[in-house]
Amino acid sequence: MDPVQPTGENYANPKTCFFHVLFKAAALAFYILSAIFIDSFVIIFVVTVFLAALDFWVVKNVSGRILVGLRWWNEIDEQGESVWKFECLDQESLARMNKKDSWLFWWTLYLTAVAWIFLGIFSLIRFQADYLLVVGVCLTLSIANIVGFTKCRKDAKKQIQQFATQTIASRFTSSLQSAFSVV
Amino acid sequence: MSHGDTIPLHSSAQSDIDEIENLINAGSHPVTVLPARPPSPPRASIPVSFVPSAAPPPLPSYQKVPPSTAPTPPPLPIAPAAAGSRLGVGIAADGFGSPPDTLTEPVLDTVKRDLSRIVSNLKLVVFPNPFREDPGKALRDWDLWGPFFFIIFLGLVLSWSASVKKSEVFAVAFAVLAAGAVILTLNVLLLGGHIIFFQSLSLLGYCLFPLDIGALICMLKDNVVIKIVVVSITLAWSSWAAYPFMSAAVNPRRKALALYPVFLMYISVGFLIIAID
Repeated sequence: MDPVQPTGENYANPKTCFFHVLFKAAALAFYILSAIFIDSFVIIFVVTVFLAALDFWVVKNVSGRILVGLRWWNEIDEQGESVWKFECLDQESLARMNKKDSWLFWWTLYLTAVAWIFLGIFSLIRFQADYLLVVGVCLTLSIANIVGFTKCRKDAKKQIQQFATQTIASRFTSSLQSAFSVV
Repeated sequence: MSHGDTIPLHSSAQSDIDEIENLINAGSHPVTVLPARPPSPPRASIPVSFVPSAAPPPLPSYQKVPPSTAPTPPPLPIAPAAAGSRLGVGIAADGFGSPPDTLTEPVLDTVKRDLSRIVSNLKLVVFPNPFREDPGKALRDWDLWGPFFFIIFLGLVLSWSASVKKSEVFAVAFAVLAAGAVILTLNVLLLGGHIIFFQSLSLLGYCLFPLDIGALICMLKDNVVIKIVVVSITLAWSSWAAYPFMSAAVNPRRKALALYPVFLMYISVGFLIIAID
């Protein structure tokens, strides 16, 4: 008999995970390796920033939705004020989300930002202001996604609590009612 | 249960099949046929979003926040973030009524929607249209992808036109344009104007489009006179595009203070285009 694996789930969305990691890794790898192979700063800049921008888009629009069920965006309302919206899935779907997926999602998000910070420190030490520009842009994009999704998650937790108290309250009242109806 | 089914069954369908099989297997004694169950709510394989507090299903006019060409940290909510999207149904006011489950749309749809938004923003900003007098409404749906592409394009064209120091030209052009957009926006905000940070960045980026065209033409034709003429025309076009948005945002007495730096920046980019050889 094969040993049953109760918690050994695999990635539920391997393709999405792959893309989630792909552009981050490509941007970092290109930036690091380009110093060896490529002479032109323009190419380094454009390609790295383009990959970082693609990664930003993928994380925000695709992997955020699919891997962790969160989404954030900005809207301008009728009065012309800017409003940030944070949205999450309902609780059952959130609970159903694959643990490995979300682990990968959050960890790669944080690790990329840390990696860019290190690279920024390196270029600071070497007094390379133009490479600092590249690192700055990529870092900003990573941090933007981190902050956006963290706010989403905090919202989601708050909603879980609200929902839980609501459900408890409603169950309490319904059990009270049934108790009274029996008596 | 699923004998080599290639299509994964939804849980509701699975329970239906279980029930039917039970009915068939318990066929020794007649079983009353159950009335047809009302169809269960559609369960997408990627869960559809709704907020547990039973608000009406959110109708997000789904926008993304594409990379800012001038690096800025976005989430500094000017109005407090509407936590959990208590969206009223009427947000999709400007004809952008995206369906409630943009959370489950295929990726190609998202890409197409974003591309069409870039095009429509470009048309709104740079070409004459009836909405110009109402800047808030015209660029309601700001995005930063367009400006990103335009700035990179301008930097690339300038870099190609330069015969020496290509990298520096690119870096300088990009930094000047990006920092310039941020500073101009801050200028308007500090003058007490009412403009939204990202909207303004988006606007200034889209207004670079005429200068992009000018730079491209100048790269192809090397005659100085033609360059000056082309740059002047595109410069005027850019300024005309930026004018209503910037001037409407500030107090009329301070219009010149807000507009002058914008002209200055575009003029300096124009000189950069002319002077490159």
